Amino acid sequence: MSAAEPIISSRQTHKEINGITTQVVCTEFSNYIFIVITQYGKIGTLVSVTPESRCDDFSNPMFSTKVLLGKDEPLTHVCGKNLGTFVSQEAGNRPILLGLALKDSSVDAIKQMKELIKSCKVW
Amino acid sequence: MSEAQNGELRDPISVHNFSERFMEQTVHFHVMKLSGAFFIWVGSSPLLSNLAVSMSSKYDSMPLSTLVMGDPSDTAPNSLAQRLAKKTKKQVFVSYSLPMTDSSLSLLVENRIKKELELHPGKF
Repeated sequence: MSAAEPIISSRQTHKEINGITTQVVCTEFSNYIFIVITQYGKIGTLVSVTPESRCDDFSNPMFSTKVLLGKDEPLTHVCGKNLGTFVSQEAGNRPILLGLALKDSSVDAIKQMKELIKSCKVW
Repeated sequence: MSEAQNGELRDPISVHNFSERFMEQTVHFHVMKLSGAFFIWVGSSPLLSNLAVSMSSKYDSMPLSTLVMGDPSDTAPNSLAQRLAKKTKKQVFVSYSLPMTDSSLSLLVENRIKKELELHPGKF
């Protein structure tokens, strides 16, 4: 193994959310932030959260979500937008690639997951 | 459930980095081990250019593979994912973010991953 420093940085954590072990891994790429949020230990559904050129009333860009792999259902888009938008905004509107494998997608659980993501800030 | 008494995870996701110089260029590898699957990124600059997913199927001796992100004319991520899925029997996510012109480089990269698989099977 050569000794070159890794050029990809990542941080991870885990916590019990409503009794379910939840792991988060955030990985920084120059064109993407890759976030895995899993309650199954798997990547699960892949969702991209991308800022659009269209802006809202406060000149913040709007975000679009796309399911790249897995079940394309409305709740996936809701979770993806909730978990990915704030990261993209903080990371200079970089697109987010999310791996979601959730047993619990309640509002309360999603809120706690956002805190977990914040504790793994790589951007 | 998957949490032991002391709060340590029994089957945690783990991350592993290594790198190698091929033909005057340093190629970096980033592996994320998951449950029954792993993600591997290969590149010389920190770009996520594409993503292929591959897994074995009982209907075919060759694992199924699909490109979920990136340029479909670049076959390198798909073929690497397929070969790693075949070798490891796991679901494999591959991002191959190196220039697509160089097929000899992709062979070196694949052999380097296989070497790492033998040296550190627990990291994949």
